[in-house]
Amino acid sequence: MGKPGFERAHHVAFFDAMATELPGDYDKQEVNHLTLSYFALGGLSLLRELDRVNKDEIARWVLSFQVHPEAHTDVDSGLFYGFCGSRSTQFPLSNVKDPCHNGSHLASTYSALAILKIVGYDLANVDSKALLQSMKKLQQPDGSFMPIHIGAETDLRFVYCAAAICSMLDDWTGMDKLKAKEYILNCQSYDGGFGMVPGSESHGGGTFCAVAALHLMGFIQVDLASNLNDSASIDMRMLLEWCLQRQVNDGGFQGRRNKASDTCYAFWVGGVLKIIGAYHLIDRCALREFLLTCQSPYGGFTKFPFDRIPDIYHSYYGLAALSLLEEEGLEPLSVELGILSSAL
Amino acid sequence: MDHANSGPSSWPELADVVPVPQDDGPSPVVPIAYRDGFREVMDYFRALYFAGEQSPRALRLTTEAIEQNPGNYTVWHFRRRILEALDSDLLEEMNFVEKIAECNPKNYQIWHHKRWLAEKLGPDIANKEHGFTMKILATDTKNYHAWSHRQWVLQALGGWETELQYCNKLLEEDIFNNSAWNQRFFVITRSPLFGGLKVMHDAEVDYTIEAILGNPQNESPWRYLKGLYKGENNCLVADERISGVCLKVLKNDWTCVFALSLLLDLLRDGLQPSDELKAILEPVRSSDPETADADLAITVCCILQKCDPLRVNYWSWFKTTLSQISDPLVVSG
Repeated sequence: MGKPGFERAHHVAFFDAMATELPGDYDKQEVNHLTLSYFALGGLSLLRELDRVNKDEIARWVLSFQVHPEAHTDVDSGLFYGFCGSRSTQFPLSNVKDPCHNGSHLASTYSALAILKIVGYDLANVDSKALLQSMKKLQQPDGSFMPIHIGAETDLRFVYCAAAICSMLDDWTGMDKLKAKEYILNCQSYDGGFGMVPGSESHGGGTFCAVAALHLMGFIQVDLASNLNDSASIDMRMLLEWCLQRQVNDGGFQGRRNKASDTCYAFWVGGVLKIIGAYHLIDRCALREFLLTCQSPYGGFTKFPFDRIPDIYHSYYGLAALSLLEEEGLEPLSVELGILSSAL
Repeated sequence: MDHANSGPSSWPELADVVPVPQDDGPSPVVPIAYRDGFREVMDYFRALYFAGEQSPRALRLTTEAIEQNPGNYTVWHFRRRILEALDSDLLEEMNFVEKIAECNPKNYQIWHHKRWLAEKLGPDIANKEHGFTMKILATDTKNYHAWSHRQWVLQALGGWETELQYCNKLLEEDIFNNSAWNQRFFVITRSPLFGGLKVMHDAEVDYTIEAILGNPQNESPWRYLKGLYKGENNCLVADERISGVCLKVLKNDWTCVFALSLLLDLLRDGLQPSDELKAILEPVRSSDPETADADLAITVCCILQKCDPLRVNYWSWFKTTLSQISDPLVVSG
């Protein structure tokens, strides 16, 4: 059996099918409908196959999830005027007696704006004033963000979402950057990686959120040498070592020490290395071979090598990781925002 | 079939409720192929939610909706309002959420609900909470949600007394369990019972060295050991136990990447290598013309380039940083 190649046609078929209709198994993730759509459409965009969908229709659909304040509403009341993640979390204002009904969520808002960027919608047309002003209320005294005003876990994921939202809208009034930075620094663990919250175990996803947010906020440079000299008071040397140690013998990246490698961390950890200017230090050939063994025979990617059934999350991050490796036939990605470079 | 028949449309208590269908808005993009049961429950939920009805039947409906869609934070939020309005038994609710969590141990909303309950129930619940996370961790020792919850309970409600013992037990079962090493660091640095890292430092260094010697290929204790010095590289270099453990490991296996890498850090930060250490690396050094005349740090880099091929670019790069900074050190040494 020869080494597998990049099965572009299979992936196009897979993402096309996903963009047409997500299978019923995804109904447990229905609240993240916008994020699932971001994966499907982001995958098509990386494959340069976005012509298969109707971009105007997509933009209209995404915009229909935004919650707008009513004429005389106090935007500083604590409610967040972002995007709801799905229809089942969206409730028309006039119908609800619960004053807290608004279900807009930071992750969904990030996904909404990312999709709009991907389909070429001009974000200057998005009503961003109420969005940003109310988003600032989600920031906690320790600098972290709550994803939704009715209360939920706070961790690095939402600091990243807030930073990406401000960056995409090109307006940083939505957050206190110094506070956010302080929180991020508190999440760097004794081993150089970042945990999702202060004290927790270093984790590929948490580390991505930390470093990408610092970069978006302007606290990280693009080249490794400058970062090692002046690195926003994070321990850059240990971070570099932590990231590089995550590449394991099968060529893939693990998300945490002593765990199996997994498709998505080729993006999360590889993305951190890209951001800090150290991507050239990994073994690219070994990583590519690993990723190719994670391709499903049905198109898309699986979490682990030689599995069969793909899922949309690992499929998107498999492609994104191959885009970082400059695989032929894939669009370059702006890693810190998770959208095509050409969409910026 | 049975499933459809047992949905809310068949509940006598909801006979007077008119379900509110989902408004799909403009032509749906990337639609999800919902199962019938899912839509039905959400249509009834919407009706009671719009009406703001905080009643036992609304509570029961949220149970059904949560079973269909445990990620729907609006449903959980509405449930919390109902629990408050009905002044429900929160311990009973805790049992409910635990049953759901056991089937969905990686769902954020469930753990958040659990935290909300624990916060209301206060310190008395701490040990019960620790018992529950222990149960989840018994089947998946690395469940991130369970560890986060456990750390939150420790800090907010207490129960530190047996935590170090618990870490010991997990590490005895699997010394490669990095989550347990992380928890150990958390306990050592944050438990109010121990007086912090300064007090615990010496004993921890010994514990960690023992773990390294038992399994030199286990990265976790090597990183933990460095973490105990919290970036105070002078102390790391000055503590003879550190260069000692590198020496011991390299004596048996001069290709051990973690020992070489720690040794490299020590050399970079000014360690004067002992004759014994030089002797171990001497045969490697003299056999390779590239390293024959080089200082020991460069030699170690060259060995790492060979023993750790996945990171050959990193060690090559590392070597260039050494030649940039090591000159003044050589002079001062």
